[in-house]
Amino acid sequence: MNKIYLSLILFLLTACSYIEEGDRLIYVKPESARRVVLLEDFTGQRCVNCPKGTEVIEQLLQTYGDSAVIAVGIHGGPLGFAGNAKYDGLATESGDKYFTYWGLEYQPVGLVNRHGAVKYTDWAAAVRDELSKSAPLRLDVDAIMDKGQIDIMISAYGTDGDVTGKLQVWLLEDSITAMQLMPGNVINTSYVHNHVLRAPINGLWGDDFAIGEGEQKERVLTFQPDAAWNPEHLSIVAFVYNNSGVLQVTKGTLNQKKYE
Amino acid sequence: MKNSRLSFFLFLLSVGQFSILNSQFSVGTVSAQNVTVTGSIQSDMLVPQNDERTGALKDEAFLANVYADVLLQSKTVDAGLRFEYLEHPLPGFENDFQGWGVPNFWVKARWGCAELTGGTFYEQFGSGFILRTYEERSLGIDNSLLGGRVVLKPLKGLAVKAFTGVQRHYWKWNKSWMSGADAEIHLNEWIPQMQMSGTRLMLGGSWVNKYEQQEDVYADPTHMYNFPEFVNAWDVRANLNKGPWNLLLEYAQKSQDPSFDNGYNYDKGSAAMFSGSYSKKGLSLLLQVKRSENMSFRSRRSQLGTSSFLNHLPAFTQDQTYALAALYPYATQLADGEWAWQGEAGYNFKRRTVLGGKYGMNVKANYSHVRWQGVTYYQDIDVQLSRKLSKSFKLNLMYMNQRYNKTVIEGEGGMVRSNIFIADGLYQIAPKVKLRTELQYLQTADDQGDWAFGLLELSLAPRWMFTISDMWNNGSTKTHYYLGQITFNIKSHRIQAGYGRTRAGYNCSGGVCRYVPATTGFTLSYNYNF
Repeated sequence: MNKIYLSLILFLLTACSYIEEGDRLIYVKPESARRVVLLEDFTGQRCVNCPKGTEVIEQLLQTYGDSAVIAVGIHGGPLGFAGNAKYDGLATESGDKYFTYWGLEYQPVGLVNRHGAVKYTDWAAAVRDELSKSAPLRLDVDAIMDKGQIDIMISAYGTDGDVTGKLQVWLLEDSITAMQLMPGNVINTSYVHNHVLRAPINGLWGDDFAIGEGEQKERVLTFQPDAAWNPEHLSIVAFVYNNSGVLQVTKGTLNQKKYE
Repeated sequence: MKNSRLSFFLFLLSVGQFSILNSQFSVGTVSAQNVTVTGSIQSDMLVPQNDERTGALKDEAFLANVYADVLLQSKTVDAGLRFEYLEHPLPGFENDFQGWGVPNFWVKARWGCAELTGGTFYEQFGSGFILRTYEERSLGIDNSLLGGRVVLKPLKGLAVKAFTGVQRHYWKWNKSWMSGADAEIHLNEWIPQMQMSGTRLMLGGSWVNKYEQQEDVYADPTHMYNFPEFVNAWDVRANLNKGPWNLLLEYAQKSQDPSFDNGYNYDKGSAAMFSGSYSKKGLSLLLQVKRSENMSFRSRRSQLGTSSFLNHLPAFTQDQTYALAALYPYATQLADGEWAWQGEAGYNFKRRTVLGGKYGMNVKANYSHVRWQGVTYYQDIDVQLSRKLSKSFKLNLMYMNQRYNKTVIEGEGGMVRSNIFIADGLYQIAPKVKLRTELQYLQTADDQGDWAFGLLELSLAPRWMFTISDMWNNGSTKTHYYLGQITFNIKSHRIQAGYGRTRAGYNCSGGVCRYVPATTGFTLSYNYNF
């Protein structure tokens, strides 16, 4: 009997799990979205692994769409690039401050609804988890560009209990062609950067915000974007957050007022 | 926060009083009833300042890393523990490093040919290809195991070990479970002819198993990885020693271990090493070759950073002690792989010979090269000459040519090619007075450009040492990194106080590096051994 137990122990200890090639991936049905999720990607043009994070974002957007997952590329930190005579940079002072504030240690790294730092291989699991949760409010945003100025209207409706926190509004730009360091230390000068945070519109940390259940509120903001930014690729992201994370987020493209 | 700082100051004061009391009533150890008590206290402190020039930031008013070890030893039972206070740690460590407590505690009993350990322990099998747990405070590494270990020496020349437990991750223990065994046989103990000819042959074999449960990691939004819950690694080695010759051969393999480090790759890992050396009559030769692939082995598959490694592969590059030679240190690339070569030749010219001169001369040349898949990761060629020129003056000269792939090792920066020139002179002014001078220059067209370094160190034995140094970037930043220190030794106490700047960079030891941000401020270090 002792020999049997010893053999069993040895077998368990030396057990080897060999996974055949066809068994290495398990299909999981996409999560049904009950709310919108904010994914803040702390990235940098000198970060060789950051394109891998971008690939994950593209996969998530393809699966869930940007009505369920909103990604923001925040350029800054040690591997951010502010630009030089040769290459344009996308890093901003705001990006550096956000990176420092969250105590982040590496890049790429993300915040998914601001529930702690998440490395890019865990973004899919974190987004799934957040999509299954309900949100206490609805948010919508409309934005019009008129003679170089952006007019922004944010509508909020409380759906579950009282909400207190901050309303943050950001300006993003897509389709920016700028350098990116790729794996193998290859500089890709034709890399297309999307959802790049250009500027916080209402301050680094936003404005105080509170709404009750069943209450409707609106907020109007204006912003003067840099003339070098392409208005056709600009968009607005607005979200409400507090110490428990991002409560709801929305994104709207910029409409341009046309004069005949 | 204020109360914790006050508590910390009171703790330091009580530690100081304890150590002074101990040194007043006993020097070294305290013995009572055949139980010996030894220990040590180490405290490194920094009062940081903001420095716009270097980017140093004052996040807190006072920072310190404090370690206190106590060890009780008797004929059959030993016990020990270590207290760590890292609540306001020095800059450059990972976030989880912060905390305080007693993470190290153990009891060891000896009975006949057996030794049993319960609690935390450190262990290494062979060269560490599949298991090496150790503590390196300057890097913030302590990957000890918590569990049980048995060591048996049933016969002369035979040693067998077995262990089981969990691994430390800063102030927690990782959930995975590790087990392993190791055996080493010294054949020369059993074969009289080998003993007579002075030949020693050791054969060894090891095995380590990791059990880690499934976790949700997605390859894409609709496909999750199916992880192997058991990972096995094994290692075989042979070490032959005869006269001036020493040869070591070692091979290790690891089963499927998809992890963040290897991009969730299901390939096996392997490492092979050959090391040969010859040392006789002033001549020393060394040749080492290592090939490793996919050998990152952690107790937590999704971990990144410097923690939770179960194994360690030697760097095969020389650990440099001169400041500019250590400016671009190599870190072993575990996850991908590497081919590493190192060759060294040294010769000691005897005194009163033509080349040796009146006092003798030592010459050493070293070549290290690391590459993988056609890409050079690191290379250095250095020549050192050490000669006593007079009764009171000794000179060391060194030239190093270095290639450092900053992108592979640090994540960005391209290849840095540099030439480094070093002169180190030691002048014995009086029987108890020594003056050491270092002059170094690093020439490069890459990264931040050239650097210059100068140091003056005055030793007044046995107690005092005064040091001033400056490292100046003659390239893009034109910044001085000056440092002044006073060191005082009395009995078992060592106190060092200083002020200066340190540049941002990498602190490396044995092929493992951590990023250290720039600092400016007052430093104080205290060490006490009892």
